[in-house]
Amino acid sequence: MTRFTLGGAVLRGTVSTALIASLMSAPALAAPPVDLSKWSPEYVRSIAGTQEFDTAADCAKVTPLDYKGRLTFWYQGVFEGDPDLLRQYYKDFFETFRKTYPNIQLEEQALTYNDLLDKFRTALLGNAAPMAVRLQILGGTEFASKGYLQPLKPEDVGYSTDDFWPGAMKAVTWDGVTYGIPTNNETMAFIWNADIFKRAGLDPDKAPATWDDVVKYSKQIHDKLGIAGYGLVARKNAGNTPYRFMPQLWAYGGGVFDEAKANPTYQQIELDSPQSKAALQASYDMYVRDKSVPVSALTNQQADNQPLFLAGQLGMMISHPSDYNVMLDLQKKATGTDKDKAQTVIDNMRYGLIPTGPDGKRAVVFGGSNIHILKPEYVEGGKVDEPAAKAIICMWTSPEWSLKMAYAGSNPGNLNGFKTKWMKERLDKIKFLDVTTSMLPYGIPFPALPQSPEIMNIIIPDMLQNALTGAMTVDQAADDAAKKVKDLMGGL
Amino acid sequence: MLRKIWEHRADYAYVLPAIAVMLVVIAYPIYYTIELSFFNTPPGLQLRDKTFIGFNNYTAILTSAVFWKVTWNTLIWTVGSTVISFVLGFAAALALHRDFFGRGVLRAILIIPWVISAVAASYIWKWIYHSDFGIIGAVLVGLGLADRPPNFIDSVSTVLPSLIVVNIWREFPFAMIMMMAGLQTVPEQLLRAAKVDGANAWQRFWHVTFPHLSNVSTVTILLLAVANFNSFIIPWIMTGGGPSNASHIWITHIYELAFGRQRWGVASAYSVLLFIILMTLGYFYVRALSGNDRKDGGA
Repeated sequence: MTRFTLGGAVLRGTVSTALIASLMSAPALAAPPVDLSKWSPEYVRSIAGTQEFDTAADCAKVTPLDYKGRLTFWYQGVFEGDPDLLRQYYKDFFETFRKTYPNIQLEEQALTYNDLLDKFRTALLGNAAPMAVRLQILGGTEFASKGYLQPLKPEDVGYSTDDFWPGAMKAVTWDGVTYGIPTNNETMAFIWNADIFKRAGLDPDKAPATWDDVVKYSKQIHDKLGIAGYGLVARKNAGNTPYRFMPQLWAYGGGVFDEAKANPTYQQIELDSPQSKAALQASYDMYVRDKSVPVSALTNQQADNQPLFLAGQLGMMISHPSDYNVMLDLQKKATGTDKDKAQTVIDNMRYGLIPTGPDGKRAVVFGGSNIHILKPEYVEGGKVDEPAAKAIICMWTSPEWSLKMAYAGSNPGNLNGFKTKWMKERLDKIKFLDVTTSMLPYGIPFPALPQSPEIMNIIIPDMLQNALTGAMTVDQAADDAAKKVKDLMGGL
Repeated sequence: MLRKIWEHRADYAYVLPAIAVMLVVIAYPIYYTIELSFFNTPPGLQLRDKTFIGFNNYTAILTSAVFWKVTWNTLIWTVGSTVISFVLGFAAALALHRDFFGRGVLRAILIIPWVISAVAASYIWKWIYHSDFGIIGAVLVGLGLADRPPNFIDSVSTVLPSLIVVNIWREFPFAMIMMMAGLQTVPEQLLRAAKVDGANAWQRFWHVTFPHLSNVSTVTILLLAVANFNSFIIPWIMTGGGPSNASHIWITHIYELAFGRQRWGVASAYSVLLFIILMTLGYFYVRALSGNDRKDGGA
């Protein structure tokens, strides 16, 4: 394990200020990773549809409905891997906002997960950012720590901080100040094709219990059927990679820091620990030793695995419950015998909990997105229309829309979303939702550090690629990644 | 000097708007990039909080293993793409210079890769090369020539050659067009005279055609080299510089350093080095053009 000292970081220069500030945010760090013990599928079913909400009336208290203004807004929107259902809800949201606030001139721009951070950072350098932005959960602390964001808490748009997941609030808190509001939060699950399992001689109704089993099952599927067993993803600069590798890393007892522990301090770098190396070894065994995962894993992302799964060429993968709807969408577009084959795969889709590590640890990324307001000096024109920004934030984070905008693949950021009638409808409509709800107690947020985007989007995928291509051994790749994190935290 | 300027004040007035635009969109960014290359820009801080570190970024770059790896990749990429594109383009131009049935159609077809969007082409080639379900792999497996699809872009040893093939596919039509234009300038009477003197086809090409094409060849090669040094779309879209940095060339590496990792100072230092190289190539380009002008003037 690599240890970097705070004193050393201070000596290295100005970046240490950010680190000190992170360590000073004691209340946030003292909170448990995610306190979600009561959020079982049964609990969710018991509260669904128990409360009515009037979004327009609630938001009118924040910004009057006849308010006249202008708002520029960027958001992480739907992309090719999302179901059509979600596309429709996004369309509905902006239509509803325009109807609710007819005098706010809204100029929205949708960007994909992988493009948003780069474009937003560039815009900030030129003081050409939008007034409000919806970022992936990783982005909150980075931009808050640099001073780009205005303080913004749920109370500012008529809600209570207690209505949001504690782990999600941590991702928008920097130096004790809240700089954003979570829109949605998610935990993924494990999906497999029961028919492939059966043909490979595996129990079709049982997910692999451990990650070691995933390695074994993947090999068995590949050896017996000649297709890919597990949908490994190791592309760089793609959000899918950390969302799929970190659960494995944490399950083996590893981590980037101590983020998987109850009270993380982010002082100890764990990427080069024996546990982290064991997790990387599991990926190496599947990709190099057994050749049981897609060879294209290094350039692919999850959107590339979905058609493989639907074509019956992939046995299992980590994903959202929305993949069931994505499969339905893809099946509708298939023709001839492909349509029947796709239907067979859909009928054989099974969802289960993400496997555990050798010591029984189960983990999943507690992901999601946040919404923020920029400081005027970084915005094009130097002005922020705060009432207009708060109007859209109030609507998006309302129980109604935080649920609808996360309808197929995620959970509402506002916990009251679970109480709406749409949640009840969703439980009936979205298959396998229970499984991802069952994963909530195992959710671990990414480290709430400004350096997290680089760690998750570049250093972790680099580590995987270095090991899987043979450019480095597993040990070297892990040590190299740990050194990169150490350098990064030291301001290099 | 001031008198001369005053005498030509109208000329200066005509070019002033263009100079003003160039100062804003070219000169200032170059100045700012050079300035930034002397600063440390930690990723955790805003750009305005940068600290002066002299030549440290340059020292760090020149002593890093990544720099030499990326430079080697860039050289392979640039030389491979430029030379093969030129040779193929020249060969195609020679073939199409002769009159035959369907020449116009063939010429139009060969130009398609050059006019197609580089982004679209990159995505299409990514699927053609797909290591699991690419069409090349499927054909090879279907014909029994391979047990499993070849690994084109997910292997550190094959990724760069595979990307160079795509780049050549896109660029050789440009070389073809340039050389076709050059071939039009070869005096027909010289070729006929050489034929009368008993020169065979190869001798006519080597002693008459080729010398006449030397300047257009130089310009074509320089333009291809500059374009290849600056290539971004194909490697970035197809592999993002991976796997394991095996297809990172200077431009993609600079982009990742700046926009992915926010090392603006280091990225600027890289850009300055690249700027120097490109300016050197630009110098030879201008010299080649000047040579052309002198020859044309003397003819």
